[in-house]
Amino acid sequence: MEHARHVFRVAFVLVVVLAVVSLARGFLVPKSYGLYGPYRYDNVKEQMNARTPAYAGAGACGECHADEFKKRAAGSHKTVNCEVCHAALALHVKEDGTVVAPPVDRSFTLCARCHRKIIGRPVKFPQVVLEQHVEGPVEGKVCLQCHDPHSPKP
Amino acid sequence: MDPKIDEPHVSAPEAAPASAAAATGPGSTRRDFLSLAIRLSGGAMVLVAGGSALGGGAAPKAPGEAYDWEEHLYAYLIDTDKCIGCGSCVRACKTENQVPDGFVRTWIERYVVGMEDSHVDSPNGGIDGFPPLQVGFIATKSFFVPKMCNHCRATPCIQVCPVGASYRTKDGAVMVDGDRCIGCGYCVQACPYGSRFIHPATHTASKCTWCYHRITKGLKPACVTVCPTGTRQFGDLKREGDPVRHAIEHDHVAIMQGHLLTEPQCFYLHLDKEVR
Repeated sequence: MEHARHVFRVAFVLVVVLAVVSLARGFLVPKSYGLYGPYRYDNVKEQMNARTPAYAGAGACGECHADEFKKRAAGSHKTVNCEVCHAALALHVKEDGTVVAPPVDRSFTLCARCHRKIIGRPVKFPQVVLEQHVEGPVEGKVCLQCHDPHSPKP
Repeated sequence: MDPKIDEPHVSAPEAAPASAAAATGPGSTRRDFLSLAIRLSGGAMVLVAGGSALGGGAAPKAPGEAYDWEEHLYAYLIDTDKCIGCGSCVRACKTENQVPDGFVRTWIERYVVGMEDSHVDSPNGGIDGFPPLQVGFIATKSFFVPKMCNHCRATPCIQVCPVGASYRTKDGAVMVDGDRCIGCGYCVQACPYGSRFIHPATHTASKCTWCYHRITKGLKPACVTVCPTGTRQFGDLKREGDPVRHAIEHDHVAIMQGHLLTEPQCFYLHLDKEVR
């Protein structure tokens, strides 16, 4: 009888511990944790819907701006996505459909980012030494006065 | 000596053959009983844990409805010969992913190498392009190298995460669960490529996701979308005829810091030995 009471006591403690552990586990471990590995699987879906894509690609721009799209596609800037110079489509067409003017940099710095001759660029890539290309200080000079960015000629 | 205490003068040969049945019997010792209890409770714990793991096995197959992550395995290809250092990718990434000021998820480095010396710079990650540069040695070669998270297959950043916030999806993207991340920064230190940072607003780890919100909709990552020279390419290794898959299979591609055995999934074409 004495021994049986010891067994009962230990078994009772064991059951209580198991109940507490499984209850705590249910509360503390997120629902989808461990489905595919030691991480919360629901986050994969959250990451998929984390935000609306801002960049849409040149094709989306062409739906409204067909002329510029065709001109660009025929010229030497054909590989340059519209959004490189005109900023992301999401900054031009808002989610509710309203259209605002895109923030466009028309200064020489926009063109200089790619075409100013600096150490590091591939030699075959078209580049200009700004100081030799224009007269006077380069700051304030606008490339667009002479060059058409949609179909540029040297 | 009190005769009621039937312990502990049991000789070793007697105690050893004590079976489970004998241990619970009236002739058993307290030591036997306790050891059996511990073993039983351990078994019960395993049963509980195993049961919950098995219960979780019957899970939905794919995230979302139209997208099945089993059908894709992404890889990234960077051709350093083509990069002109314009920084369009860095700016696009910042806009697309609302990367906080002073931080970048992808960046460009400029290497200027000569026989006597070499120089590496990356002003603000190259977000505004690169300024003209004069070096004090004879430069024999110079080039740009775009860098980013390598989305390694055996990545140390996941191994060190103490809370299971860092993980790799079945389609190959290494990501951070911002809800679980405690911002300890172990992963930031573990990454040999320096591609993680602690977000100043959320105080959790942040990194390139290969624009997971775009690629799961069939779009390319923002950096690839805007790259004007085709330096950056994104592909699917499970798709027949994919140009990136073709390049990895047939061309001489390199990986960054291969000796660390992290198995990067960003592959480089024409990578110079100077690049670290």
